[in-house]
Amino acid sequence: MGIKGNPRVVRVRSWPCVLLVACLGHSLAAAAADTESDQIAELRKELDQSMQMIRELSQKVHDLEARAAQQPATAAAAPRTTPATPAVAQTPTAPAPAAPPTAVAAAAPAPPLAPATPDTASRLIQLEQTVSQMAANAWQRAEDTGMPMHGFADVGLGTHNPEFPQYQGANIAELDFFLTPRLGARTRALFELNFEVGADSTVAVDLERAQIGYQFSDSATIWVGRFHTPYGFYNTAFHHGQWIAIALRRPRFIEFEDHGGIMPAHTVGLWLTGSERLGDMKVTYDAYLGNSQRIYNGILDMNNAGVPRGSAIVGGNLGLLPGGVLDGLKVGVDALQTRIEDQDPTPAAFPQVSPYFTQVKSYGAYAVYDTDRWEDIAELHFFDNTDLTGHTGSHHSDAGFIQMGYRAGRYTPYARYERGSFQQSDPYFAAQINGNSYDREALGLRFDIDLSSALKMELAKTSFTDRIIRTYGEALVQYAIRF
Amino acid sequence: MTRISAKLLLATVLATAGTAARADDLYIICNLRPPITAADVRDLFVGEKQFAEAVKLVPIDNSAAQSLFLERVLKMTAAKYSVTWIKKSFRDGINPPVVAGSDAEAVATVRRTPGACSYVTTTPEANLLVIAKL
Repeated sequence: MGIKGNPRVVRVRSWPCVLLVACLGHSLAAAAADTESDQIAELRKELDQSMQMIRELSQKVHDLEARAAQQPATAAAAPRTTPATPAVAQTPTAPAPAAPPTAVAAAAPAPPLAPATPDTASRLIQLEQTVSQMAANAWQRAEDTGMPMHGFADVGLGTHNPEFPQYQGANIAELDFFLTPRLGARTRALFELNFEVGADSTVAVDLERAQIGYQFSDSATIWVGRFHTPYGFYNTAFHHGQWIAIALRRPRFIEFEDHGGIMPAHTVGLWLTGSERLGDMKVTYDAYLGNSQRIYNGILDMNNAGVPRGSAIVGGNLGLLPGGVLDGLKVGVDALQTRIEDQDPTPAAFPQVSPYFTQVKSYGAYAVYDTDRWEDIAELHFFDNTDLTGHTGSHHSDAGFIQMGYRAGRYTPYARYERGSFQQSDPYFAAQINGNSYDREALGLRFDIDLSSALKMELAKTSFTDRIIRTYGEALVQYAIRF
Repeated sequence: MTRISAKLLLATVLATAGTAARADDLYIICNLRPPITAADVRDLFVGEKQFAEAVKLVPIDNSAAQSLFLERVLKMTAAKYSVTWIKKSFRDGINPPVVAGSDAEAVATVRRTPGACSYVTTTPEANLLVIAKL
């Protein structure tokens, strides 16, 4: 079975065979890879030819403009003796082989100067317009998709409505349209129009965000309008479309105002935001000033039209992303101060003073770990409020939550614990329908059906612990989409 | 026989390896002076870096090379990349990069767009600025 003959001869003969096989193998593999490459190369060649034609036409326009500019001097020095031939007709129009623009300019000598006529000028303008149009169209093909509009929607089933527990059964939650028009290099705009079901089970339309901004640099953008108040992490990271969040709903105390939230989720005013990279680390900041909110019908209202008495909300947020081995981690602190006017009739439990004013001071800290696998969020907020009418003094409250989610392919199980401990002697919390203390435990599962839709299931237990004492369980299902 | 088989195996490996290396090169190209650094590329394609001095940066995704780019540069899955941009857009009002369908289209878009950057798997022409070869 062995190979007969001189082993050295066999070895010598085998090397050419090896090389031959290697070359053949490489060629065959390369040929297979080149089939696609050939198609790409062909497309590329066609595109190059088109671009070359544009360059040539541009060059012609440039040459003709130069000649047109020289025409008076030429005409004065040498009066015309023959009818002018249109300059465009003299120049070749067939596409030249691909070459850099500079090479084209150098290789294409300007044709002899010919005096321009009104017809030439007209054709020159037409040519220029054509070139401009071609360039504009070429840009639009890849860049301009008009005004991008996105949307989110969700519907659900449950033993309770996730936000209005007095209801049970099927529910529609919201249809949220999100617009980000392309306005230019530095101007940005963001509008969020939301059709949502409220506590009275009717559908209302709300301009949740309407902000126009100017971006000075990567480290500074100023927004004006209505925006999500940048406290903590959750309020600016997640918005009205529930698809975007792992969990089925927001933590109760940072729900939106008309869905039971007790913090000013929206502010109408000015917001300066940005980030700065420092090596591997990155620092983010927010500073804002806006209309102070009011309490109306037991719900916080962001005073879209302005404030009658000139009070303001002011606050800031400072975040740090360490990067490196801690990539995905963000920690931060935030603070806000505002003066809230309660425009509802004074509750019987409080002295008959109307309107009631409360100075609200809130301090918070948060930590987020967001990677391909994990999304863990923790926030803690402290309230140090003062009754400005001088009747009930100062009050201290706090609220917080921790949520952990683990992405395992299309499944993301999550768990959340949240708690709000609000002093009921504090007019700020007492005046709000949902200003009672509570705690909630939830276990859930998100299943991504595809890249645009998700099914979420959650089991939760909520306990109200002061204004009313009550515990209830929930089994919730939500179908959330984006488009 | 054993030696010949080993050499055949070696030849096959060499042939395949040569082809694989050729197909796996990834070039980051830009139409930008001064250029950004290779370290800025990740921030550029997740919307964290939008300016190079006064020049507005325009990231161009290339669907023909996106999987390689996501794996090597952004180190994230396509799904995570998509969600990252949805969140970014929703938070900051920034639109995700436009998508070129091929290396040729990416090159052409970069050439005609000041501040544009993209990535290709074919060797770029000499007149294009290559930020990094990965």
